[in-house]
Amino acid sequence: MELTRKDRRIVTGVWLLSIIVLWELLSAFLLYVVQDNMASSKLPFPHDVLMTFISEWQTLLVAGIVTLSRAGLGFAIGGLIGIILAVIMSLSKVAEKIAFPYLIVSQMIPVLGLAPIIFNIVRDMNMSRIVIAAYITFFPVAVNMLSGFKSVEEEKKELMRSIAANRVDIYLKLMFPYSLPYLFTGLKIAAPMAVTASILVDMLGSKSGIGVKILYSLYSSSFDIFWASVFTSAFMGILSYNIVIFAERLMIPWKNVTTTKVGDK
Amino acid sequence: MNVPELQIKNVSKTYTNNNGEEIHALTDVSLDIREGEFICLLGPSGCGKSTLLRIIADLLEPTTGQVSIHGLTPRETRLQQKYGIVFQQPVLYDWRNVRRNVCMPMEIIGVPKSERTARIDRMLDLVGLEKFGLKYPFELSGGMQQRVGIARALALEPEILLMDEPFSALDEFTREKLNEDLLAIWGKTKTTIIFVTHNIPESIFLSDRVVVLSPHPGRVSAVVDIDLPRPRTAALRESPEFYNYIAKIRHSFEGV
Repeated sequence: MELTRKDRRIVTGVWLLSIIVLWELLSAFLLYVVQDNMASSKLPFPHDVLMTFISEWQTLLVAGIVTLSRAGLGFAIGGLIGIILAVIMSLSKVAEKIAFPYLIVSQMIPVLGLAPIIFNIVRDMNMSRIVIAAYITFFPVAVNMLSGFKSVEEEKKELMRSIAANRVDIYLKLMFPYSLPYLFTGLKIAAPMAVTASILVDMLGSKSGIGVKILYSLYSSSFDIFWASVFTSAFMGILSYNIVIFAERLMIPWKNVTTTKVGDK
Repeated sequence: MNVPELQIKNVSKTYTNNNGEEIHALTDVSLDIREGEFICLLGPSGCGKSTLLRIIADLLEPTTGQVSIHGLTPRETRLQQKYGIVFQQPVLYDWRNVRRNVCMPMEIIGVPKSERTARIDRMLDLVGLEKFGLKYPFELSGGMQQRVGIARALALEPEILLMDEPFSALDEFTREKLNEDLLAIWGKTKTTIIFVTHNIPESIFLSDRVVVLSPHPGRVSAVVDIDLPRPRTAALRESPEFYNYIAKIRHSFEGV
């Protein structure tokens, strides 16, 4: 049986509420029963975190935007590079055979190691964030887009051939629209990763950004701000994912409509 | 009698399979097709009927032999955009609604915008889908999707309409209905139709001539003129002449 929208809201509501209640109880347990004097750093009360959000929302927002905007820019650039790579590889088998091992190797270098190298080269925090976010994004986009291009049915291509369509038409009218769902699969994988990578770059010694907030508040034992920053970064990841989902709904309407068939007479 | 529109001369097609063996898909096929003729290529799987259709459409090249269409090669004909093709699957573009699916080839061959709309209206009317223009393919039944495919091919006003088992994925009732509708459409457009099928009654009901192909190697084993009056209706399927043709064609298969 399908859940109605109302049912689903109830499920989500109960979930959220249970987590908060459980969390309050655990925090209280740590503080009053175990009498751990680090309780506020290990697991602060959710209402305390909420209060920090209310008092600190401006600085958190600014820090979040600094990181998220660079991640977003890098994400867009990486996405574009990924698409271009996929097109090149789909046009030439040789190009694919040459490029693919490099792509795989590129993903074997951990971002943790790569970020300082990039920073050393470009010597600019913003640029490093953008480059790393793009670096994270291009691979899943290229691979998924290419597998989209490859799964276009032979007959769809034959139809194009039979009316002597040129390459540009074939890509614009067949390959790209067909592969959009694949592209979005890649983008959905990449979006939260790009955000995470940008936060990581923050921690390399930036002066602004949400990663800096996490790091400094931890060093200065301001645990309320630390937790609020951690939550902010989690929201950023969730937000980035949902923006991609939203764009997907807008751009691929034919995948989301309920399937009711009209029968032959 | 005038010059045939399409001449197939000694066409053979040989594949090499993965084991390095040669597979003779078609051996020495010759056939003349008149302008405006409805011709069926009939045969069991592996007789090379789809291969022959694809050679005519320039989607495959023959190993030996020639095909000429009014003196042009299949490639020249294809580049001049004179073919319309309907496949076994509807091959619709999911991201386009019915109207825009019918429109797609016209965008590519450069039919002026103002004319496209008029043609879409006319074609949807012809295939009986005038009320479904704004539906998406997944909202339609298999039979309706195939009608869209036919409308899309006809919208090009092709000189030659190539149909590769277009109704074989449909149930018998839908198939018979679409057979009748296709004849009505052909009566109005008078394009040459080359229709591939493995269904004997379907081939008799539709065509002026049935070309019977037999497998191993793929070759023409008979060409049967169908002298049944037109317009043909459902009642024809129960006539003794119709049954005679079925028997005659059954006997003409070799080595199935």
